[in-house]
Amino acid sequence: MARYVYCFTDSGHTLPLADLRGVGADGTALRAIRHEGLAAVVSDAPEGLRPKRRDLVAHETVLETLISAGPVVPMRFGTVAPDDDAVVAELVRGTGRYTELLTRLAGHVERNVKGAHEEDALLADLLAANPQLRARNEAMRASGGGSQPDQVAFGEQMALAVEQRRTRDAAYVVSALRPLAMLDRHAPPVKDCFANVSFLIPAAAQDDFDAVVAQLRTAMEGYAELRVSGPLPPYSFVDAVEATV
Amino acid sequence: MTIMAQPAPSGGGGGSAAGALYDIIELILDRGLVIDVFVRVSLVGIEVLTIDARVVVASIDTYLRFAEKCGRLDLTGGRQPVGLPAIVGQITEDSAQRKAKGALTGAGRAIADTIHDIVTPDGRN
Repeated sequence: MARYVYCFTDSGHTLPLADLRGVGADGTALRAIRHEGLAAVVSDAPEGLRPKRRDLVAHETVLETLISAGPVVPMRFGTVAPDDDAVVAELVRGTGRYTELLTRLAGHVERNVKGAHEEDALLADLLAANPQLRARNEAMRASGGGSQPDQVAFGEQMALAVEQRRTRDAAYVVSALRPLAMLDRHAPPVKDCFANVSFLIPAAAQDDFDAVVAQLRTAMEGYAELRVSGPLPPYSFVDAVEATV
Repeated sequence: MTIMAQPAPSGGGGGSAAGALYDIIELILDRGLVIDVFVRVSLVGIEVLTIDARVVVASIDTYLRFAEKCGRLDLTGGRQPVGLPAIVGQITEDSAQRKAKGALTGAGRAIADTIHDIVTPDGRN
């Protein structure tokens, strides 16, 4: 029977699986498939699995619970092996690779930071900072809003300024948090966010990380908000750390 | 697409997987280890979750919306906090000092140095 694979970990992991439920309508039971010093955490793969909210939460909850108890190499959502033998074969084939990866990731977690501007504040600030844009806006306002071509041309200028500011503010967020991180990586762009960045940090550095985030939030209050997730399993850093193995 | 109907949690700062799902969904779907010999469930239709933010900014609709919004803005309202670049500079310095006296020493630092020596992560500014 097909197996849904959540993560690889090492056999020293306490694997608190009893209270966890996996993907699927009925919350499938979890178990470990072991080979030498490694373990794969799996459940039966439900028929017709789709990325439903329920299943994404199950996947994430399993991984967050396990990362709090020891190192994990997280699978991407929806990874399915044909049977137990295939999982064992992968652990055999990649024993050295996965052991090294777990060693390097041990004691580290991923934190994700998303930044979003308060749009009114951003636009007002750009107008205040740029006399030409401000004058153009005033002229259009005085003429009852301006023609559509004028609006498009002016809006394009504003969009350019917005894009520059988004890039600058993303760099601010990264530069402030990078000293506390082993690695950082831009996550896929997300609507309305000027920054979507993940950081690989030592679990012990999380208080410092949160303190710096708090400082950034205070500094950007009324202008931009920061949304922070984690501690997460190191989704974004498997590849990068792998490259060092 | 019911997963998109969930509002972003206010405040942020971790919390349960269920509550914070909205903000990490692209990580669950687009990151993590991929093993060639295993299959992945179909994600047809889910790609709309992540979009190229640039495309959204650079569109006629956005231009018109910015123009219309600027025309209505109360320009005495919210702004970038005064001196933000300098404040961020101070925060960055503080962060570096935390690193110097904090957890990034010893074994952890050694691993970081190894990683930094070998890897240049994508997308650095």
